[in-house]
Amino acid sequence: MSHTAPRRAWLRGLAFAAAAAAFGTAAPAAAQQTLKFGLAMPLTGSQSSYGKDQVKAAEWAVADINAKGGVNGKKLEMILLDTQADPTVGISAVNRLINVDKVPVFVTAWSAVVKAVAPIANREKVLELSIGANAPEISKLGDYVYTAFPLADVDVTAVADYTFKTLGKKRVAIMYINNDTGVEAARLYRTVFEKAGGQIVAFEAYDPKATDYTGALLKVRAANPEMIHLHGLVADMPLVIAQMRQLGIGQRVTTYAAGYNPQMVEKAGKGAEGLIVTSLAPNEKQNPNVGPYLERWKKAENRIPNGLPYTQYLHDAPYLVAALYSHLEKNKLPASGENMRKALLAVRTFDLPLTGKLTFNEDHTVRKPVNLVTVDNGQFVPLATVE
Amino acid sequence: MEYVYSVLVMIGIYTIMASSFNLIIGFGGLISIAHPIFFALSAYASALVNLHWGVPIPLAILLGTLFAAAMSVMLSLPSLRISGDYLLIASMGFQLGFVEVIKNVDFAGGAGGLTGIASIYSGPSRSPAFVVTTLTIAATVVSVVHWLTHGEYGRAIRAMRDDEECFASLGRNPMAIKITIFAVGSALAGLAGALYAHYFQFLSPEQFGITQSALILTMVVVGGMGSTWGPVVGALLLTALPQAITFLNLPPSVMAPLQGMLYTGLVLLFLFVRPAGLVAKRLGQ
Repeated sequence: MSHTAPRRAWLRGLAFAAAAAAFGTAAPAAAQQTLKFGLAMPLTGSQSSYGKDQVKAAEWAVADINAKGGVNGKKLEMILLDTQADPTVGISAVNRLINVDKVPVFVTAWSAVVKAVAPIANREKVLELSIGANAPEISKLGDYVYTAFPLADVDVTAVADYTFKTLGKKRVAIMYINNDTGVEAARLYRTVFEKAGGQIVAFEAYDPKATDYTGALLKVRAANPEMIHLHGLVADMPLVIAQMRQLGIGQRVTTYAAGYNPQMVEKAGKGAEGLIVTSLAPNEKQNPNVGPYLERWKKAENRIPNGLPYTQYLHDAPYLVAALYSHLEKNKLPASGENMRKALLAVRTFDLPLTGKLTFNEDHTVRKPVNLVTVDNGQFVPLATVE
Repeated sequence: MEYVYSVLVMIGIYTIMASSFNLIIGFGGLISIAHPIFFALSAYASALVNLHWGVPIPLAILLGTLFAAAMSVMLSLPSLRISGDYLLIASMGFQLGFVEVIKNVDFAGGAGGLTGIASIYSGPSRSPAFVVTTLTIAATVVSVVHWLTHGEYGRAIRAMRDDEECFASLGRNPMAIKITIFAVGSALAGLAGALYAHYFQFLSPEQFGITQSALILTMVVVGGMGSTWGPVVGALLLTALPQAITFLNLPPSVMAPLQGMLYTGLVLLFLFVRPAGLVAKRLGQ
């Protein structure tokens, strides 16, 4: 028995490999004559509630584009894979997209995944579009990595400037989550605010897994700031605000795009009053397509999406890819990653349905006007727009 | 083909991880789950000495491996005096502590992760070369673990594991043997980590937490703890299976629970159906 057991195990392994190979060859055969692109997002794990809503928006867009005849009569095909927002899983997913599904362009998000798959995109010469991640480092990941989403410097700079110049606050405390989202953004805020002439009176980090923030909050209270900038994730920010109010810290709080979420108000309750968040996508008044888009969510899911601005960007991702394919078709270029990159640089400015004009800069980034939104009586209301 | 290569490299890396973990937990009976942190420490060390000081990659990998061995002594010296549950807790603290350290060290990329790591090979034959290198090293590691645990030294390891007091009464030093296998196991994990760093060219501290420990433990348990081939089978199965599942093209509503339950399900299944793992260990081992 001891001699047969290993052999049986190997046979089982082989059976799995064979099954995998069979599925692998079946898929591309059925999908000829389509214009492919990849989408690698978290569909499982802690970030999946955001990932899934963003994916749904992208799926709607693909269906809409194809219903209107696709690109030159060819249908757009989106190949969706799960990353769990984990770099290792993301690497497998992107390797599969590039080498098995042979996509010339793929869209992905979450900073750690965007960074982890960048060497593959550069090596295999496939265009990587980062949409949603905002770590400033993303602009320096290589020739084939472009972000179609404004990086943290855009909205963090806008919030810091607005706090100093418009609100006239000189002393600010920063609280941030100790991970890739918080650290770089908090430093950036500090640099911008101090450069403007302000003073950062407390600079406190909290652990991503923490549920109690008392220690850091007491330091913030002792520093007696005029305002507080909070840079965390949607999961922890309402808790931080609630504990802040319990400790008698009543100062107005600013945060960034992740705070523009119904959960902030639901969970933090009255504590969220006066909160200033950013939105990097136009609202209903600024863009006529946003209203019907929200209606669509209400009809299909009976709610507004988690992280509305992010879903607007993801909704527009297939339109961006369609525009790239359209350029290739017009110039009769084969659909390779190199040509995709050339197309991106040739077109440069895209007019997209839910996010408006998008122009790629020389440094692989995009700039957008920042909408500041505040919480008033439990509702998000527009406050100002910073160009 | 590139995709298959990357899966093969992962299988090789996890084979090294699972085999070396098996040396510590299966043969040595030392219940530590800190294995991924030695993988991480070596991966970071190797990447950083190459990145900042220009140390050639093969030498950097060697340095990373030795660094992992040296760091293992930091855990083993104070904590191997205890065993069982206490060692488990100490190892968990060591692992989580160092993950936090990495997150807060700027020159290692901090919480955002380390990018721009150099690759050992370049050009069109990069991946096949990596596959050959990794699988060769994996085979060597499996042989080394087999050799270590099957000679006279292997008998000493098992004697120490099964009855430490009796072993000491024979005039042997259980501490020395524990520290040695801990160092060897951790060095091998470090070797896997350094290979990982120079293949995938990106490291992030979040990759080396308890989830990673659970994955490697699952590989060893499912494959067969305390057997030479068990961890190899476990590594192969648990690396290939999640990949195979993605080809089923299931909707996310099915895929999510399926992937979530995969490891837990396998462990439970094996505990009931085949407690000794796929490769049951031979009698008398």
